Amino acid sequence: MSEFILNVIHRPEMVPEYSATVTGHGKEEDIGNKKLLTESLDIFKTQQRLAHENGLKVTIHMTYAALFNKEAVETAKNDHNVYGDEIALSLLGLPCEEFREKYKTKDFCIWMFSMEDKKRIVDDVFEKFRDIFGFYPESTGSYYMDADLTNYIKEKYPSVKCAVATCWEEGPKAYHTCNNSWYTLFDGGPWAPWIPSKQNTHAPAADESEDSGIVAIPHLSRDLIACYDGNGSNFGTHPQNVLRGMIYDSKTWEYPYLYNLIDQYRAQEKYNNGYAYNMMFVGPGWMNKMGRWEAPYELLLKSYSDGCKYYGDLKKQGKLTDMTMSEFADYYRQKKTYTEPECALWRDILYGSDKQLFWYTDPYMRAGVSMDQGGAIFDLRPYAAKLRWEVGIGTKHVQDASYPFLIQEKYRAGYFTHYAGEGTIRSAKLSYKGEEVDLCLCRTKAHFSQEDNTRILTLDPVTIEFADLSVTLQTKEYFEEGSGAIKIERTILDMSKPDAEIELNEYMTACYGTTEYPEDMTGIRLSCESRDGSDDRTISYEYRCREESLMDASSVSAVIPAIETKVSMTASETAEGYIREGYAFSPMFTLGYKKKLTDKEMFATWLKLEKAD
Amino acid sequence: MAQAGKGRLNYRCPSCFMRDLDIDMFYDKERDEYYCIRCQFTGSEKDVLAGNEMVRTRYGAMNKRFTTFDFD
Repeated sequence: MSEFILNVIHRPEMVPEYSATVTGHGKEEDIGNKKLLTESLDIFKTQQRLAHENGLKVTIHMTYAALFNKEAVETAKNDHNVYGDEIALSLLGLPCEEFREKYKTKDFCIWMFSMEDKKRIVDDVFEKFRDIFGFYPESTGSYYMDADLTNYIKEKYPSVKCAVATCWEEGPKAYHTCNNSWYTLFDGGPWAPWIPSKQNTHAPAADESEDSGIVAIPHLSRDLIACYDGNGSNFGTHPQNVLRGMIYDSKTWEYPYLYNLIDQYRAQEKYNNGYAYNMMFVGPGWMNKMGRWEAPYELLLKSYSDGCKYYGDLKKQGKLTDMTMSEFADYYRQKKTYTEPECALWRDILYGSDKQLFWYTDPYMRAGVSMDQGGAIFDLRPYAAKLRWEVGIGTKHVQDASYPFLIQEKYRAGYFTHYAGEGTIRSAKLSYKGEEVDLCLCRTKAHFSQEDNTRILTLDPVTIEFADLSVTLQTKEYFEEGSGAIKIERTILDMSKPDAEIELNEYMTACYGTTEYPEDMTGIRLSCESRDGSDDRTISYEYRCREESLMDASSVSAVIPAIETKVSMTASETAEGYIREGYAFSPMFTLGYKKKLTDKEMFATWLKLEKAD
Repeated sequence: MAQAGKGRLNYRCPSCFMRDLDIDMFYDKERDEYYCIRCQFTGSEKDVLAGNEMVRTRYGAMNKRFTTFDFD
């Protein structure tokens, strides 16, 4: 039986984000402004009403500021009693007069504080919450929860079992969209609920010993193709995100995209053992009475009302189950094992292309596969390293909480480079009589299947046309649960000249980083290993454009000390392995295997991720 | 010349929006025009609204309701 689970979250934010640039423009800052407080509460109450009218229960995320507001507290208590809403505690919405006076700062993002301040603030808000409600919360959250923060909360307040812990692909793209003034830099996490590891929030726990003790949910359910290239905050299950993206008819105020987005999430149950998930979380700043950007209040209200109605109607039809966050945590613990991956086969539903992506996340990796590029891996995060990455003041990463990539085609070029050099991608090239074709130029579609613990993508065959040879090739990609490896199998289905021989070059061009800008590659160790260990070839990265190869390499690998990661490739049979160093204008490395193939032959390679100690 | 302010609605620069930048525009009441503080866009409210429609041209399926999401 398939299940589509919904979490709706509201937060009574007394000083909504954006109020300074909208309501408060042209005025001196006054975060105790009574008009602002009244309006914020009105919006919160409107949101509550719309959810309840549509039969949906809510998780109320009390903000620090709301804990000082009697009406917000009474509303939460009433709605808990009447509608079964969960009263939870948000670590968003810290700004208020009391907070400013106590902490003497305008910082408001919990993950950016020093560890000492994180503990002080957590203790402060959790104890205040208990003073008011008589119990500690079971759910909490922020835009991002770093591992040290979560570990502290879980240790001190074990009642907490669920948290909003990241926004999917909210990183440099969101920063740029906001004129380089919105410092939510945390790309590289899961898009759907997961159990974070104690070591790194983005990386799911592999077993009980790594379990942080909470179930994490993403801040919104986001479009898995539009968000990867564009501003994440335009493409999510946040009705006003859709307005922010101007994805509505300006005359009729209709936005079928919002419903397509929800429905595409519902369709993900096919790839996740009958389970799919959505989260809707709209802060009051997005329903400003003065309008939000070019959208008047009436449109803001309509969009939230329509969003609630759509979910409510699905519930009435028996197609949706609404839960509070703590209920969901219990459900998720029952439903999922540690190693069970989250999968998404996702198509473009906005731009009118037929582009299709596959996303895969488990405790060892997050990978993105593009069917529009012949099944190339265009994003790869080595969760196997479970990288300790402290964030906040006093650490090496005050703002940057992203999980580093090995491959990120938007930040590091992918297949297409402008003039010279290479971009990050895991693909293959076919060569014949001096011609070469990369499978990144072969557009196709994939079909999902599962055999035991292996998820399989079977791509529709593609045709590669050389001057006097036509080759039909099929790609299959295997994601074996718990293996930390991706197997890619290429089979020659047909050749116009049955006795022709082509060369298949399976390659991975990679680097590391969290932003568009290159990192220091010095010291990355590339290895080409022989079967008996007597003829190993190595390159210590110095930007010298060197290359080594071995006719029967048992593996080719790269160790990247900066992110404690080893990535390797192995082959299904004898083949020439090679390693390639980059240069300053192309700060990449490449691992690969070359193999001669004839008609009907198959060749497979494995890409494996491990922690490098 | 008096300082600029915000207009009736908080319009963003359509030119910057097309390069994935959300930049609030400011309103010059003496010239009755909106202008972008980052790029060189200036225009009347009508120009801004026309620009917003251009923004939408990239959303080729914006008005389409999908019923299937795979290619099986």
